[in-house]
Amino acid sequence: MIRQDVEILLVEDNPDDVELTLHALHQERLANHIEVARDGEEALDFLFCRGPCAQRSFEQAPRLVLLDLKLPKVDGMEVLREIKKDPRTKAIPVVILTASREESDMANGYHLGANGYVQKPVDFDNFRNLVKQLGLYWLVVNQPPPAVAFEVK
Amino acid sequence: MSTDTTERHIANEAARRAGAYNRSLIEASLDPLVTIAPDGKITDVNNATEKVTGLSRHQLIGTDFADYFTDPGKARAGYEQVFREGLVQDYELEIRHRDGHMTPVVYSASVYRDEAGDVIGVFAAARDISERKRAEEEIRKLNEELDERVRRRTAELEATNKDLEAFTYSVSHDLRGPLRHIDGFSKLLFEEYSADLPEEARRHLSRIRDGTRRMGMMVDDLLNLTRVGRKELSMQLTGLSSLLEEAIGDLQPEMAGREIEWRIGKLPFVECDPALLRQVFANLLSNALKFTRPRERAVIEVGETTQDGRTVIFVRDNGVGFSMKYVDKLFGVFQRLHRPEDFEGTGIGLATVQRIVHKHGGRVWAEGKLNKGATFYFTLEAVESRPGESNSLLRGAA
Repeated sequence: MIRQDVEILLVEDNPDDVELTLHALHQERLANHIEVARDGEEALDFLFCRGPCAQRSFEQAPRLVLLDLKLPKVDGMEVLREIKKDPRTKAIPVVILTASREESDMANGYHLGANGYVQKPVDFDNFRNLVKQLGLYWLVVNQPPPAVAFEVK
Repeated sequence: MSTDTTERHIANEAARRAGAYNRSLIEASLDPLVTIAPDGKITDVNNATEKVTGLSRHQLIGTDFADYFTDPGKARAGYEQVFREGLVQDYELEIRHRDGHMTPVVYSASVYRDEAGDVIGVFAAARDISERKRAEEEIRKLNEELDERVRRRTAELEATNKDLEAFTYSVSHDLRGPLRHIDGFSKLLFEEYSADLPEEARRHLSRIRDGTRRMGMMVDDLLNLTRVGRKELSMQLTGLSSLLEEAIGDLQPEMAGREIEWRIGKLPFVECDPALLRQVFANLLSNALKFTRPRERAVIEVGETTQDGRTVIFVRDNGVGFSMKYVDKLFGVFQRLHRPEDFEGTGIGLATVQRIVHKHGGRVWAEGKLNKGATFYFTLEAVESRPGESNSLLRGAA
């Protein structure tokens, strides 16, 4: 049986941004299985296998989380904090993908353990190129954390 | 009466008259006068002293001089100094009236001697300086009020400025989102349906995309400008030559395929925020590169010079220049002196340069001539330079 693992969890509340990001990822044929969480709570449910995602397991962690910062309910920083403080999820690579270039956001993000920080450019070509590079690096070049990385010792 | 007795009588009479004369002089004085014995006891006072203390001469004579001042220790130190040095002038004390009222005075005092030349006491004259003190107090109060008012106004201005920066920031920031979407979807429309669109529709679409791209650059530059405005300077001693090199390195893409002659002079070490100053160079050089584009061979010169005893950094080019008629507009936000189809730009680069230079306490200005190139000058500190220190303006010169 082939497990339909999610490659990228896109945490993004704006439908336009969701569509443009998905478009870019599909166009570059980098990821086939992309899950979209429209707020921080959905993202945490998915990653921590609870609520509507209770049937998931921690070993099915996404290869990459693309995380927006301004989110309804639970904001991006809080999501990041939750992911990085729990041994079952802290190995998941999280790249902040946001409109903000505030120094304080960047500093907070890195302090909380973000694996990258990328500002969404206005120009769509640039954006597409950037999404492509992110996909290439995290899904192709980078060795993902092994399964044991998600086990609680 | 014998002659002898008569003569003595005449002498006594003369002495009595002289004494009465001196006494009346002393009593006529508006300044409190007093004589003090070496043990600090008052030996004589005049009318003015009675008035300023509220005590009669009988009550005063034989008592301690120091007792009638708010600071007896200082009073004692004063007459002791007179006995020691023979003279004291402008010695400030405060006399206390019996009803508690104080009179600020300055004392001038000197010793006086007997026929043998031995010091027998101190003669001290006080001058009431209430009026002067009141005036000084008044000036001090006015100054304080002025300081307070300046402080308040400055704080108000700073607050307004901060509000404005925050507003600009959030507007530019929030504008970016929808702009990204317009750009993205118009691009997708163009890519995926271009073949189905009539020529004119495609042209309209490309105009939309040009517009969003321009607006995107403006928004980003505005954001950068407000970021510069809000940033705390992190000052360190920095060699401008290396900053300049870095800035030139960043501009490589803009130099591709062009013939450019760089004339880089010796630049000083200065106390500055290196990240911001690098941006000053980047913006000025980027302008120089842009406006020399019509030249077959661009000549860009960067160096240090002195104007009115101050060290000045300059960036000069042989580009299209500008008319000095519009020099006032150069540093304004969104101000442009060229048509967008000739030279692209948002009109924020020089405003950012000015913001950074002003944050460093310096000044920036430009000289140009239409079609004859432009020179931009800046200083980093508004202090006067001292003779023999050509680089005092830019602290820690090379």
